[in-house]
Amino acid sequence: MSTKEELLKRLSEGVLEMEEDDVAEAAQEYIDAGYPALDAINQGLIDGMNQASELFEEEEYFVTDLLLCSDAMYAGINVLRPYLPEEKNDVKHKCVIGVVEGDTHDIGKNLVKIMLETAGFEMIDLGRDVPLQKFVDTAKEREAELICLSTLMTTTMPGMEEIIHLLEKEGLRDKVKVMIGGGPVSQNYADKIGADGYSTTAVEAVKLAKRLLAIA
Amino acid sequence: MNPKKRLKMSLNGERVDRPPCICPGGMMNMVTAELMERVGIYLPEAHTDARKMANLAKAVYEQGCFENCGVPFCMTIEAEEMGARVDLGSQIYEPHVVKYAIDSVSDYEKLSGIDLTKGRAKVVLDAIGILKEEVKDMPIIGNLTGPISTASSVIEPVVFYKELRKKNAEAHAYMNFVTEQLIAFGRAQVEAGADVITIADPSGTGEILGPRFFKEFAVRYINQLLDGLADLHVETIVHICGHMKNVYKEVSEVHSNALSFDSAVPMMDARKNLADRVLMGNVSTYTLEFGSEEAVRRLAGNCIKCGSDIVSPACGLGMSSPLRNIQALLSSVEESDG
Repeated sequence: MSTKEELLKRLSEGVLEMEEDDVAEAAQEYIDAGYPALDAINQGLIDGMNQASELFEEEEYFVTDLLLCSDAMYAGINVLRPYLPEEKNDVKHKCVIGVVEGDTHDIGKNLVKIMLETAGFEMIDLGRDVPLQKFVDTAKEREAELICLSTLMTTTMPGMEEIIHLLEKEGLRDKVKVMIGGGPVSQNYADKIGADGYSTTAVEAVKLAKRLLAIA
Repeated sequence: MNPKKRLKMSLNGERVDRPPCICPGGMMNMVTAELMERVGIYLPEAHTDARKMANLAKAVYEQGCFENCGVPFCMTIEAEEMGARVDLGSQIYEPHVVKYAIDSVSDYEKLSGIDLTKGRAKVVLDAIGILKEEVKDMPIIGNLTGPISTASSVIEPVVFYKELRKKNAEAHAYMNFVTEQLIAFGRAQVEAGADVITIADPSGTGEILGPRFFKEFAVRYINQLLDGLADLHVETIVHICGHMKNVYKEVSEVHSNALSFDSAVPMMDARKNLADRVLMGNVSTYTLEFGSEEAVRRLAGNCIKCGSDIVSPACGLGMSSPLRNIQALLSSVEESDG
């Protein structure tokens, strides 16, 4: 039988190597052996995903790789979830994410979601082609602290500015930080529309989110 | 020198009096709100009406925007004709896929091929036919959505990208099918009267795929498509989005006459890495939409100085881009001495 450390290593490496089935299997073995589920997530799966993000930053891994690593991570999480302790009172930072109305390209949005989730944020994913008001309504209802907006098309960029105006109108602007990203978007554009931040990659987005919400 | 001759010569690497200034259409949208108002032809209607499509394409040069007319004005026709459901958008939003046709590359045999005798494929071919009749000195540019971008509009892109690795052989079979459809559509565009074909493959970027898959899937099928048009002796432009620094070597193997990049790629850098290629690009669409005429002129001049052979926007134009900025782009290129 494998030790806890061996299994944690297998989980971490399985995520890094995109071995979805092996990760699920290792997670089951880990649970059967009676080890605590939370450690498997933090020291196994998330460790692997963090290593994958490092390789992504070093341009050894690319978007397709990260998508498969995250599949492996979620395969492990699905096995472990029922064994997690009851949620304690440590409140997660809530973040609403989506692709603005008129656009259905969501690869970038999905990556940012995965990375923020890995970093411990509670993600509320509105999907793609999302009506602008819905971002604001959801942020209000769920008391989110952050809205992440993405688009890959020049024609749908103005929707981002519109959302910021809608937040102002609802008196929410100082309660919610807005981060934007996507192909045609730039720091200049973020400044112009009064967004709180812009990031070029999903890994950068995590750093930015933490900075905006002053999370260590 | 008329614009058609200038563009054709530029694409063949011949010396011309000054660079052409074009915006091909397709992904590289050149229709703006002001242009539509000026001529009273509007999207989305012009996506489905050959006469309106042709007239709007003509308005682009008649109103002094660019030295070409190009159709269509979106990149969803191929996917729609293969079974994806498309929302045609509005005056503000481009058409986009709202429902995918299949769930996995393994299911590609269920897809219908592009029927050139009906639907929006026919609208495009009819529009090109009208332009051929009515336009003399302006190059007519037919646009194709690239193989990866078409493939990932027919299937959910996340599934598609994963299956490149997980179901490699089937992914190739699917890409082959998609590429054959694009060849047929491209050939029909040339036969209808297109002088130049632009292939835009924004979903097949080096950043998404990494160098290995970029070569194995993007370059390979773009080349298969180009080779499938080669005997028609039509000039070709290939537009790829995103950073090139990891894939310059791979991109140098693309068989097109010209290569076009978005504003992520500094023109000087592209020129250095692709010394013997005809390059098109890449004036920031952000500046075109929000900058001053002066800034646009400065960027255009810089683009030429850094080695662009054909001046064009780096991406599709934003709908609210003012005509005066676009006209400033053309006039600054006209005033340049190459």
